[in-house]
Amino acid sequence: MPHTLILGYGNTLRGDDGAGRAVAQRLREALIGPGFEILSLHQLTPELAQNLSQAGQAIFIDASASGRPGRYMRVPLHAAPACAQFTHQATPEALLAAARALYGRSPEATLYLIPGQDFETPDSLSKPVRLAVDQLVSHLTESLRTAAPQR
Amino acid sequence: MAQKKIVIDPVTRIEGHSKISIHLDEQGHVEEAYFHVTQFRGFEKFCEGRPFYEMPSLMARICGICPVSHLIASAKACDQILAVAIPPNAARLRKVLNLAQIVQSHALSFFYLSSPDLLMGMDSDPAARNVLGVAAAYPAMARDGVRLRQFGQSTIESLAGKRIHPAWVVPGGVSSPLTAESRDRILAQLPEMLTIATRTLDWFKSEMEKFREEIRSFANFPTLFMALVGENGGLEHYDGQMRFLDSGGKVIADYPGSSYAAHIAEIAHPWSYLKTSFYKPMGYPDGVYRVGPLARLNVIDSVDTPRASQEWAEFRELDRGPVLSSFYYHYARLVEILYGLEKMEQLLSEDDILDPLVRAHARVNNGEGIGVSEAPRGTLLHHYKVDRDGLITWSNLIIATGHNNAAMNRGVLQVARHFVHGNRLEEGMLNRVEAVIRSFDPCLSCSTHADGRLALEVELRNARGEVVDSCRTR
Repeated sequence: MPHTLILGYGNTLRGDDGAGRAVAQRLREALIGPGFEILSLHQLTPELAQNLSQAGQAIFIDASASGRPGRYMRVPLHAAPACAQFTHQATPEALLAAARALYGRSPEATLYLIPGQDFETPDSLSKPVRLAVDQLVSHLTESLRTAAPQR
Repeated sequence: MAQKKIVIDPVTRIEGHSKISIHLDEQGHVEEAYFHVTQFRGFEKFCEGRPFYEMPSLMARICGICPVSHLIASAKACDQILAVAIPPNAARLRKVLNLAQIVQSHALSFFYLSSPDLLMGMDSDPAARNVLGVAAAYPAMARDGVRLRQFGQSTIESLAGKRIHPAWVVPGGVSSPLTAESRDRILAQLPEMLTIATRTLDWFKSEMEKFREEIRSFANFPTLFMALVGENGGLEHYDGQMRFLDSGGKVIADYPGSSYAAHIAEIAHPWSYLKTSFYKPMGYPDGVYRVGPLARLNVIDSVDTPRASQEWAEFRELDRGPVLSSFYYHYARLVEILYGLEKMEQLLSEDDILDPLVRAHARVNNGEGIGVSEAPRGTLLHHYKVDRDGLITWSNLIIATGHNNAAMNRGVLQVARHFVHGNRLEEGMLNRVEAVIRSFDPCLSCSTHADGRLALEVELRNARGEVVDSCRTR
């Protein structure tokens, strides 16, 4: 059965940029089982296209430089190629396009964005972002435990 | 006709930020060409005052593509500061990690960055001349590229805990031994990877005839070559002696990395943040040399894995002496992927690969350390000095792209003279100017010690220095 692929990504040495990885790491403890593949990544790379092609749904979690800190935003994703920049890093849309082009399919995908407050050099999250991380972890844990397809 | 200058800015499908400027004379012929690296980072300076044992992790942050290379060269320099001989299995595991890095980086360079030129053609529509264009037109080849890079990255993760910026390589060895499960997982994937590597090599060799013009004009000139060599002059990426070879194939120097300063000097040009290295005894520009896969396959006397050895022998038949055309960097990269896979198999099959003794502990015993290893793009050198408390007082990094800088500039001039004519810019000819740089696979983030995204600008300037045409990648 196809599974749910969760990709939290960002730089944990740049303050709130690590929010997506914080969510992924928390979800690893909350969502255990063959129905979930949870990756905590520094950045998105092209070879993730293969993982995406095998998933039933994909959830990308990233920090955002825009928006009000203390909440999260949900953005539906569609495959959209990114040309010359698709090398050692990639956007979620480009990865979905690559999965479809290379392996014939791409999953339904959603991007959750967590607006950050401090992107300087602390290796911890700001208070409002910690709150948003808690909220998103609770939301995804609850919704995926009941709704995600099991492998 | 007035003199003009063409500027390509940014140069695309390389690692980092740069531009190329091509100066035309009054007849519209290319008079001079420059490869400008336009980013500055300054790692050598801002690490001063940090404890030496932080250096491997700090230096790995120079680059998201080849952090492992910096980890290894840095840790080797720190081994010297500790004055320890690291446990044999630590060296073995570092070698496996370095080879996984070389495999994934060469796969990135060949399949993601350069295969669009090779598969779609240098003159094809630039909108489709990228890895997604390759995926649409040649999906099997694109899948091979993704798979090979995925293997390299997952092997790095299996050994070192994560794919990018791992901290597993430490002064004195590595921080934890290999598990039987990780070893078996890596070994189980190698037959498939060897099939992909062989298939790609066979395809490349069958296509070379189509690129006769590029072979003839892509930085195809005599230079020196430099790389590490192992015992009996064998192909080596982790240890050994540094060797300089002249363009006729004669070894002119074999020396330990610790005496690099007697053989290599650097100069700075006002038009680039990238320093230029040269062979000191011959001075600049006579001492211009190349490093990287092409240089490694030129300077060695043997390869100690069976299939790569055969491929190397065939490669060396391209020229009577060293292979001079930089177009063949692509070919050399593919031979090295094959070698890396075979060598990993050898190393991982050794009896002691699971030996838990992987780290030597000591305090500061030397005030200075020099670490040399072969990164995917060429010889990487880290040199540190510390005070009695082990704090860094001075550091010098010589990076593969710096070794190649003079040859890349000369290559840009050669290809521009061959393909650029008149005062009108055509995309196909400019792509060839970029592609000669791509063949070297420069890593500007590393060599300027930027944020990694490559962008290229080409400017055309007249005799008065005015920009009369330009183009920029998006």
